[in-house]
Amino acid sequence: MFSCRDATHLMTEEREGTLSGVTKARYRLHMLLCPHCKVYRRQLDQAVELLKEIPRDEAPVPPEVEDRLVEAFRKRG
Amino acid sequence: MNDGAAAPLPPPDGDAEVVRRLRAGDEACFRQLVREHHRALLRVALAFVESEAAAEEIVQDAWLGVVSGIDAFEGRSSLRTWIGRILVNRARTRGVRDKRSVPFSSLSDDESAPVEPDRFTKGGFWSAPPSRWDASPESLVLRKEAREHIERELTTLPPAQRTVVTLRDLEGWSSEEVCNVLDVSETNQRVLLHRGRTRLRAALERYHAGKGV
Repeated sequence: MFSCRDATHLMTEEREGTLSGVTKARYRLHMLLCPHCKVYRRQLDQAVELLKEIPRDEAPVPPEVEDRLVEAFRKRG
Repeated sequence: MNDGAAAPLPPPDGDAEVVRRLRAGDEACFRQLVREHHRALLRVALAFVESEAAAEEIVQDAWLGVVSGIDAFEGRSSLRTWIGRILVNRARTRGVRDKRSVPFSSLSDDESAPVEPDRFTKGGFWSAPPSRWDASPESLVLRKEAREHIERELTTLPPAQRTVVTLRDLEGWSSEEVCNVLDVSETNQRVLLHRGRTRLRAALERYHAGKGV
């Protein structure tokens, strides 16, 4: 019996596009019929969306570090 | 990508040009490269060592490795993957020295435990279904708050999960890149990603429950 637990376990796999064959068909059918799993899947997606929105500009390279590295680059070879 | 040749995949657009410039001693190009990847590398390093300072050291050390090794870069992987591997090699050495090993390739106990076990009946159906929240147009302020909540939660994930989630979802790396850099199987990478994301979803649920929305 394909359960909700099974479905939740496969959600990342489905998102990654690595589900196939019978498992994929059973997953799809379950998702069609189970409102809770649909909600859960949407919430997982929302978590990923929020992660993608996290600003990426923190942790810049400290200038002295950058200068030291460029200095090493200059002296290479 | 699909040129029918049996040769390894060519590096993504731009890599060849960047490598050419680096070999020609283009400092601006090197500076740009450092700025572009430093943060991601720092995040990877933090999977192997506890302190920011140690991670910084490893990343700097890796950049020195890039400087001295750029002539040997063969373009068999993307430049980013190559740099990432240099970093991980150094980080592993350091992690061994600090007696801290990260279970990327063999999943730890924590990683093989069931996900959210309390929410399902014995038969695997929901006993505590996900509570619903209004995920649709939230105000920008609320969205920012939720994002900050998730960002804090991310720092509490086990290191392997945190690193995979960070690289995939924050840095936008492909699963292939993550597997190559961390030397982890496709399956384990996916398990780590799933477990990390699952925890973050649960955190979001707690956040919304706390707000009563």
